[in-house]
Amino acid sequence: MDEPVDTATAILASAAVLLRERMFDDISYRALADEVGISERTIYRQYPTRAHLLAALSNWIEQTRFPLPPFVTVADFRAAVHERFRAFDTLPAYAYVGARASAISPTIDTEPAYITRAIEAMLDVAAPALNRRDRRRVAASLRYFSSAMFWARLRTGFDLDAGDICDAFDRAVDTVLAKIPDPAWAEA
Amino acid sequence: MTVPELSGTQTAILAAYAELIEEVGSDDVSYRVIARRAGIAERTVFRNYPTRVDLLLATAAWIEATLFTREESHSIFDIPLAIRDAMQRYDERPELAHVVAETAMRGVSGAAPSPGRAHLERLLDAEVPALDPARRTAVIAALSHLDSAGTWVTFRREFGMDRRDIADAAAWAAEAVLDSIRART
Repeated sequence: MDEPVDTATAILASAAVLLRERMFDDISYRALADEVGISERTIYRQYPTRAHLLAALSNWIEQTRFPLPPFVTVADFRAAVHERFRAFDTLPAYAYVGARASAISPTIDTEPAYITRAIEAMLDVAAPALNRRDRRRVAASLRYFSSAMFWARLRTGFDLDAGDICDAFDRAVDTVLAKIPDPAWAEA
Repeated sequence: MTVPELSGTQTAILAAYAELIEEVGSDDVSYRVIARRAGIAERTVFRNYPTRVDLLLATAAWIEATLFTREESHSIFDIPLAIRDAMQRYDERPELAHVVAETAMRGVSGAAPSPGRAHLERLLDAEVPALDPARRTAVIAALSHLDSAGTWVTFRREFGMDRRDIADAAAWAAEAVLDSIRART
């Protein structure tokens, strides 16, 4: 575990530790304060609501546990997403926090996620002639199929493991890319 | 989609909570305030929904079943239309759409993340009976993923799309998924 550098990060690191034994909903500010060794008031000052805590915790987990491998080509994009889905399977409690945080009403983080920008950049290179609307449709679809939400839905709703989820993801990506006029680009 | 039978009191509680979520802009509403809005005693709320998670799950299910209902699709190829309508309905009630999206992402202690799965399977099997199992699962999973509040949340948050663009992109993606089985009918 990395050395916590400030109070805000120390709170998140402790929340992540507690997440190994209980659900996010069962982590009270009281228990969290005891774990960090600070007052409950200090936690409220950093994270005024549980939604703030959830969003910050998800960002921190994403950076420390599920860093997204960089990608430029479609093949690298697939590989990067596969790697993440497999990582999610090894730490499901952390991955569900990410899925939940991406579904709540935005609190702190209103910027699009890094992966969104990376997908858009990938399409700029791979399909530069694509019209604006189709480009956005493709980007949004790829983004949504590569999300923690997709992993969470397939794991909980379909009882699939990472291998099957990667397979379903690949097939979904295939269907989206097939809509693009120039078939050669998909192999880029 | 199956909805458990609710008593009049329960319906009053869930409706009051949903109303407050929209007013406050958060699901962080105390039992005391919910009870007052529903015009009942706080302990009655506790008796019906002992924990906040119980209350949240029941509320999300009630919202989906009453406010975000879909017109029944009679063919798998009607699903993009249903998705388009659903996105528009989510956009009319943003706070409630977030609550529904979030409760489906809680793992085993959450709401069923793919409530329409059985219906989709029936439609697909009726139209394309000989699909190989992995392909069938992938089609159902992709469509059920798209036919959810998570789509509305993601397209809005990550791409800043408005109601029309979200409805368009979600229906487009569903058509893309269906294209993969079109040749087989």
